[in-house]
Amino acid sequence: MIVVKGLHSYFKTEDGLVKAVDDITFELRPNEVLALVGESGCGKSVTALTVMGLLNRKKTVLKGEILFREKRLLELSPEAYRQIRGDKIGMIFQEPMSAFDPLYTIGYQMQEVLKAHTNLSVEDQKQRAVHWLKNIGIPEAEKRFGQYPHEMSGGMLQRVMIAMALMLQPEVLIADEPTTALDVTIQAQVLGLIRNLQKNEGTSVLFITHDLGVVAEIADRVHVMYAGKIVEKGTVTRLFHRPLHPYTIGLLTSRVVKGKKGKELPFIPGYVPRAFELPEGCRFHPRCAQKLPRCERESPPEFLIDHENRVACWLFERGESA
Amino acid sequence: MILKVDKIKKYFPIKKGIFLLTAGHVRALEEVSFEINEGQTIGVVGESGCGKTTLGRVIAKVYDATSGKLFYNPPKEESVEIRWNTDKRILKNYRKDVQMIFQDPYNSLDPRMTIGDTLAEPLQVHRVCSSKKELNEMVSRLLLKVGLYPEYASRYPHEFSGGQRQRISIARAIALHPRMIICDEPTSALDVSVQSQIINLLKDLQKEFQMAYLFISHNLDVVYHVSDWIMVMYLGNVVEIATPEELFENPLHPYTSALMKAIPNWNPEERRLGETTLQGEPPSPIAPPPGCPFHTRCEFVMERCKVEKPLLTNISENRKVACHLRVP
Repeated sequence: MIVVKGLHSYFKTEDGLVKAVDDITFELRPNEVLALVGESGCGKSVTALTVMGLLNRKKTVLKGEILFREKRLLELSPEAYRQIRGDKIGMIFQEPMSAFDPLYTIGYQMQEVLKAHTNLSVEDQKQRAVHWLKNIGIPEAEKRFGQYPHEMSGGMLQRVMIAMALMLQPEVLIADEPTTALDVTIQAQVLGLIRNLQKNEGTSVLFITHDLGVVAEIADRVHVMYAGKIVEKGTVTRLFHRPLHPYTIGLLTSRVVKGKKGKELPFIPGYVPRAFELPEGCRFHPRCAQKLPRCERESPPEFLIDHENRVACWLFERGESA
Repeated sequence: MILKVDKIKKYFPIKKGIFLLTAGHVRALEEVSFEINEGQTIGVVGESGCGKTTLGRVIAKVYDATSGKLFYNPPKEESVEIRWNTDKRILKNYRKDVQMIFQDPYNSLDPRMTIGDTLAEPLQVHRVCSSKKELNEMVSRLLLKVGLYPEYASRYPHEFSGGQRQRISIARAIALHPRMIICDEPTSALDVSVQSQIINLLKDLQKEFQMAYLFISHNLDVVYHVSDWIMVMYLGNVVEIATPEELFENPLHPYTSALMKAIPNWNPEERRLGETTLQGEPPSPIAPPPGCPFHTRCEFVMERCKVEKPLLTNISENRKVACHLRVP
């Protein structure tokens, strides 16, 4: 559906170039949920914003290619991008409270989307919007349609945002931390909703999160990001049962679980590097327990484990047996 | 025993109109009672708006309770009531002994004060040190204690990462050797790889200084790991109290089990998404439902639940639950 090749997103700042996303390559396939997972500042949200064409072009340096149905998205004019965005590629944002305009009703904001992308009459727009609100499990959809964002809870607004993104039946849905601001019980409801809609509508979902628990619940494939690079790619079952990259292993073992009670929790030493002081070589090497001398100098390329699984770590230069 | 919380209630008035007449109340806490002992950790879990943060703040005396009492046991002295007390000496000591760590390490440190000044402030207020030199040594020791370098004392908060800032907040909280720390979501704003570091640090410090923690979090896994007791809260009420082992193996309140089922279990082969039994959202604390606060979302709801509020009742030696199903 979407192919991203050698994508770089650098921000121009007073302190120099910030390499938020540095040479990443991946593809989103039809009818799958691909999770991009990583900690704050790893570049996962910037990846989403780049694909959506939502970065300020004057303040960023973009390199590489994003292909969507044979179109090179990075070469499109802002106007042509607007045609695709919302219509073919939908997006859900992290903070439902700040993603809506507080001065307009939910209904107005939904109709705005339909007005921009369809020729429906005002009456039909309303019907379509209310239909989707119902579809997404919102009680009293007609009443909600006329309400303002502040009259709804976070979980409810997140559903409205999902309805809004799906109204035009996009081929791709990009979800940037859609459940992070929600309570666990509401998170479970929203994840179930996304999963069902994805199955029923056949939408491909690029799901961005920092929460590995959520990844295990929803993803088909997972890409792990660290400091602007993708360090590991794999199917969700392989990644959880047999993680390869030391960073992925660290993330999975630092989970707080039963059975470890009273004991010291395993953790990854140190902190995530800041984007303008990235270490040389492999960006994880200052925190890595298994680092080799060359990790300090050379950035590891992606090594192929099998056709679905890849890892960017010198330990796997000769495949998994090494 | 350090502290006894007795039927603490906190209602926030809602003011409306130009004369600011009280139009109603947000019922944040409803008659919460429990005790906390030396070196013990009590975990408080619940969803946003359940009153867990209010509980922490009432105990820290950031807010004054609407009704109820707080009894504090100073070392080697008689127990004193704190909520209604006006004796400045007693209150100052209480504030020294009960400290707080906040959720957001980005907002809880003053951006215009160096780390050294932030850490020195409580020591100066309580006149712990007699000279400037002693003060500086104390600050250095505190920084070392939480795993930071003494040189950091001259830096400002923005120069640190979230995990490091949370270490600074912890150093500030332990500066006066408190007997109890209220930890309000201390790891929620941190990355997973750093979260465990902070939990380990809190556990180590607890062992060393025998402090009690009131550990507030929405993350059941974290609370399980650190607590001796867990209190589950819903809409301002404590609905269940148990040891972590008992609570996880056999949750008695329907809300507790629903909460547990909603936690992702990190196993892609055992997805739980379809299992969620909990529909809808918690009702507004401005107009809580009559009877049991959970009856609007409970799958086992009975007629009785809609009219009669279940009381938190002992059902075995170390277990309390507020549910008509369990307490006939």
